[in-house]
Amino acid sequence: MTSIASPILKRRSGRLGHKVRIAAGVIVSLIFLFPIYWMVLTSLKQPVDIFTTPPTFFFEPTIATYVEYFRRADISRRLINTIIVAAGSGVLSIIVGSMAGYALARVRIRGATTMGLLILLSRGVPPIALAVPMFLVARKLGLTDKHITLILAYCTFLIPYVMWLMRSFFISLPRELEESAMIDGCSRYGAFLKIIVPISLPGLLSTLIFSMILAWEELLFALVLTNRYASTIPVAIAGIAGDTINGANWGALTAVGTITVVPVVIFALLVQKWLIRGLADGATKG
Amino acid sequence: MSTLDIHNVYKAYGSVEVLHGVSLNIKDGEFVALVGPSGCGKSTLLRMIAGLEDITAGDIVIGDRIVNDVAPKNRNVAMVFQNYALYPHMNVRDNMGFPLRQRRMPKAEIERRVNDAARILGLEPLLERKPRALSGGQRQRVAMGRAIVREPNVFLFDEPLSNLDAKLRVQMRSEIKELHQRLGITTVYVTHDQIEAMTLADRVVVMNGGIIEQEGPPLELYDKPASRFVAAFIGSPPMNFLEGEIADGAVLVLADGTRLQLPAGRQYRRAHVTVGVRPEHFELHETGWPATVSVIEPTGSETQITARMAGQIVRILVRGRTLVMPGEVIHLQVRSELLHIFEDEVARGSRVLHLQEKQYA
Repeated sequence: MTSIASPILKRRSGRLGHKVRIAAGVIVSLIFLFPIYWMVLTSLKQPVDIFTTPPTFFFEPTIATYVEYFRRADISRRLINTIIVAAGSGVLSIIVGSMAGYALARVRIRGATTMGLLILLSRGVPPIALAVPMFLVARKLGLTDKHITLILAYCTFLIPYVMWLMRSFFISLPRELEESAMIDGCSRYGAFLKIIVPISLPGLLSTLIFSMILAWEELLFALVLTNRYASTIPVAIAGIAGDTINGANWGALTAVGTITVVPVVIFALLVQKWLIRGLADGATKG
Repeated sequence: MSTLDIHNVYKAYGSVEVLHGVSLNIKDGEFVALVGPSGCGKSTLLRMIAGLEDITAGDIVIGDRIVNDVAPKNRNVAMVFQNYALYPHMNVRDNMGFPLRQRRMPKAEIERRVNDAARILGLEPLLERKPRALSGGQRQRVAMGRAIVREPNVFLFDEPLSNLDAKLRVQMRSEIKELHQRLGITTVYVTHDQIEAMTLADRVVVMNGGIIEQEGPPLELYDKPASRFVAAFIGSPPMNFLEGEIADGAVLVLADGTRLQLPAGRQYRRAHVTVGVRPEHFELHETGWPATVSVIEPTGSETQITARMAGQIVRILVRGRTLVMPGEVIHLQVRSELLHIFEDEVARGSRVLHLQEKQYA
């Protein structure tokens, strides 16, 4: 049926297909965004409005829950902790992971592939199986409830992640770039820093952003390894949700949830240019 | 400026040996082309000279220094890659100045050298552009500029023209030659294109299967190929080969029984020989070997005739134009001093065939 379709018909059906795609995109986005919308909405309701049936969309908004829980759940300190831990583990994992990825991509090491696979395999271990030994180690070292402990713990899953993403990115770069730099006066390390890193900046940044988001929302290790001083926001949410004495306070839960999401959204909007460029570059750069 | 000596160099990746003992002495200021089919080891050898590959055995000497264990950056060689390897995040000026900045040269000196190179290569209007805003030929020039600002001991070129279109390739070829004549820097040039090698180099080194088949001035390789491989590789269109048995002293009997008279008065050591004739050495003559014309390809200055002779295809190149038509039977003659006779060297296996000392009438 290919021969008789006129160009006009084809174009029209193309336009129709385009519309269908847009509609599908909108529907999928709505499905994903609705819970977040509902969370923000709930966080602004009075406790009495939260459980009304049918649910209300119009009410007198209040930020009372925010004000109260900022104080009660020590949100400002947790926010700072989360930023420190996310930034620290993100930066550390990008430095170590990109170098490891580069080595796997370029340096001729016996068993490099096996080594890489083993490191990746370590991500297959359920985190819960690692949490308890990690806690014991941290306690022996006197490192419980410290930022550095969480940063190091997060690096255990972030470094393999960064390593594999950057490895494939580095493989896609022409080898001659470093070789040329090495002939032009660089050591291999110098060629990496002066040529490869600047070229890979979009890829490195998008990987950094993803790593930081993973660290930002991590709960299990934070729950096990911190207590009060270095505790992060997801721990606070878990605390509110798991309050068996007073029952879950949905207003508080949604308010803290919103506080968790907002910085990520702002951050993602700020860096979206890099994010998109990085993803595209990694896919196509020859 | 420097000599470059390669002494009995081997290269193996694990148990796979790719270079089987290569020796080559390159004079100061000489232009040497390494040529051969892909996988012959020419690029590997070049990369070993640059220091990008380890040397399994043997020595590479630049000037009077053994550089086997010297890092690439300390060998004072400059290399131009097939894909140019320009640094995409730097503009042309920074690309060319990069090797000098790495050597912590004073800013003024860097500026002077980059401007000089840009003038020589006609890159002055492009100095602030990024590589992605340049055409293939311009990128190629920047890569050469980056090499010449170094004033290195040795220039290394790894198939630098392969990514350019045919017209630009010819133009850049003469630019490279001019540059070499002007700077007089020892140059090693790798290519799979024998025309490039012949036209550019003072000396051509033909490699095959990890060894040097033959080295010499371009026309010596053309006139006196040392093996059937070199004979087939050098020259375009390639040499015709006729295989057969020697009978009655000087008659070549081809597979289908056709008898071709060979020049008399020489001894053939073996019964089985291969006769090589370059397309341009055939002459049309009534008393020659008969052949049936199948295709005529005129290019104006010359005409290539494809014909069948004793079941085999032969190519004939005649100057100017010809009145010969497809289907016609022509007679081909070759002056005896232009015949190449290869005899199987059984003792060394059948790969290398030797040219018997030629008789010049």
